Amino acid sequence: MRFSTRRRLHFEARRSVVFRAFAGAVGVILLGTLLTACTTPEPAKELLAPTDAQMKIRSLQTRKFDLKDRTVAMRGVIAALQDLGFIIERANEPLGLVTAARFAEPNYYDVVTVTVIVRPETADQMTIRANAIYNNRPIEDPKVYQNFFAALQRSLFLTNE
Amino acid sequence: MRWVIPLALMLAGCVTHSEPAELFQLTPESNRNRAMQIRTFETKDQRELLSASASVLQDLGFQVEESVREVGFLRAAKERSAREYGQYIQRTFVLILSLGKALMPVDLHQKIAASLVTRPLNPEGTRQEVRILFYRVVWKGEGQVDRQYIPPGEQHMEMIRDPEIYQQFFAKLSKAVFLEAHAI
Repeated sequence: MRFSTRRRLHFEARRSVVFRAFAGAVGVILLGTLLTACTTPEPAKELLAPTDAQMKIRSLQTRKFDLKDRTVAMRGVIAALQDLGFIIERANEPLGLVTAARFAEPNYYDVVTVTVIVRPETADQMTIRANAIYNNRPIEDPKVYQNFFAALQRSLFLTNE
Repeated sequence: MRWVIPLALMLAGCVTHSEPAELFQLTPESNRNRAMQIRTFETKDQRELLSASASVLQDLGFQVEESVREVGFLRAAKERSAREYGQYIQRTFVLILSLGKALMPVDLHQKIAASLVTRPLNPEGTRQEVRILFYRVVWKGEGQVDRQYIPPGEQHMEMIRDPEIYQQFFAKLSKAVFLEAHAI
């Protein structure tokens, strides 16, 4: 009699251990599913494919200029960026690439970065494209690019004089 | 002292954020800065002007980081200590006034950088323009507010707008160009 009670107690204890382990495992799996549901982003198929919005931004960022010499165009771009208070960080003549940055004054913690690419379109036309980034967010405001190209036009005009 | 952190956060929120659109606009100051940063030289030799600029920057203790001759571009930097006595005195005062609870971070290290561009002003290339921009990045040391530890490494950036620095550079450059031009 005593023996069997002890045995039953033992069995029950074992059952509760098994049950707890089982419940724990279920809990972990549930929590895991919940967490993965929270963190896993949608696998974006269109991540690298062009969208209408991107085409629109590209057309905002691009202008054609009647220029023959790419170096002249690049010098114009550099002068325009300097006029706007940008610090030229990198320039690559063979690729027609200029990278510049400036602090978003009056606060000195935000940074605006701009990359300009100068490419010959035809024999006497250059395509100039500018990409601007505010901290780590791309700028999509058309006004920004209008202002940039206005400054560039002014600078190219001065250079041609 | 708990209220200090929310107050600091609120104040940080008050800093005016300028719209990116405004940053691509010419302002009245941009003309003044332009005048300060630009000098013209009556020379045909753009290469000499660029190499003379590099040697002047070297004389001033800068290391040239990047150069592109085709567009006349040069970038140089020097790293120095940014420690100032004034800040340490201020730090001590704050520490005493806050009964040892607020330890103000002080500037430790700075990088002074220069970005220089030469440009021909007329098609014949007999007049050349040199434009230079100086700026600096400052790294702050550690600090503490109440029990909140402020880790070191916070950055602060600023343009250098002291006309005297630009005048000094151009004075040295015109001397160097003169010397270079007559070197045999």
